[in-house]
Amino acid sequence: MENQASAKHWLKWFDPRNRSVSTWAFILNRVTGLGLTLYLFLHLMMLGQLAKGPEAYNGFIALVKNPIFTFGEVLVVTAGIIHGLNGIRVGLAGVGIGARYQRSMFYILFLLAVILSIYFAAKMLLGA
Amino acid sequence: MDASIGNVSRPRSGEGFWLWIVKILAGGLILFLLGLHFVANHLVAPEGLMSYKDVLAYYQNPIIPIIEILFLVTVLAHALLGFRGIILDLNPPAQLLKLLDWIFIFAGVASSAYGIWLVMVVVARGTG
Repeated sequence: MENQASAKHWLKWFDPRNRSVSTWAFILNRVTGLGLTLYLFLHLMMLGQLAKGPEAYNGFIALVKNPIFTFGEVLVVTAGIIHGLNGIRVGLAGVGIGARYQRSMFYILFLLAVILSIYFAAKMLLGA
Repeated sequence: MDASIGNVSRPRSGEGFWLWIVKILAGGLILFLLGLHFVANHLVAPEGLMSYKDVLAYYQNPIIPIIEILFLVTVLAHALLGFRGIILDLNPPAQLLKLLDWIFIFAGVASSAYGIWLVMVVVARGTG
């Protein structure tokens, strides 16, 4: 594959030309996965405030009510929805279920992810 | 070209069947546990656990620490195996991979221990 990026030619990773829908699905899964992993470790560190007592934890909660953090949370929720729904397709196809219908599955799950993400983003940004 | 969505998730070279299937099954378990984590923490819990006092009271129900610890270990396994999969695709030298594997194992064990410790601290504080 001409557009297959290698570690040596990493600049090509950022070349969006000649990508197939499977490549986009793959990229989407990786980028959201990396983001969620980063969030996991941040989340664990931040919850450490619980051990320091009520002032520390309540102060932290007051801090994350700032809209910047809410925006970050919207990103996390969106990434989680995309990764989780797309992951259903990846897992099923991996064990041999519906591998022939992956493209339709991807489109349907991605559409569902977009709808759910918009719903939760609206709820989180406007609801509070 | 585009027909390549016929590609499915397979164990990578250096991953092996067991690590691959653990990653897939952990993914499925996360869909369930994340749903539980969200419903419990943000819908059932009064006020959505936005204060230290609420968190302590919430952790007095013995099922909660069990769910949260199970959830943590599953997510860590999935996240670290997923991250390792990305590294594998960059064809790391065997020596480097060996070192990285120890780092992944350490990160998984240390983060699990930290999370379990934190849960114990919260449970042991009773209702404040």
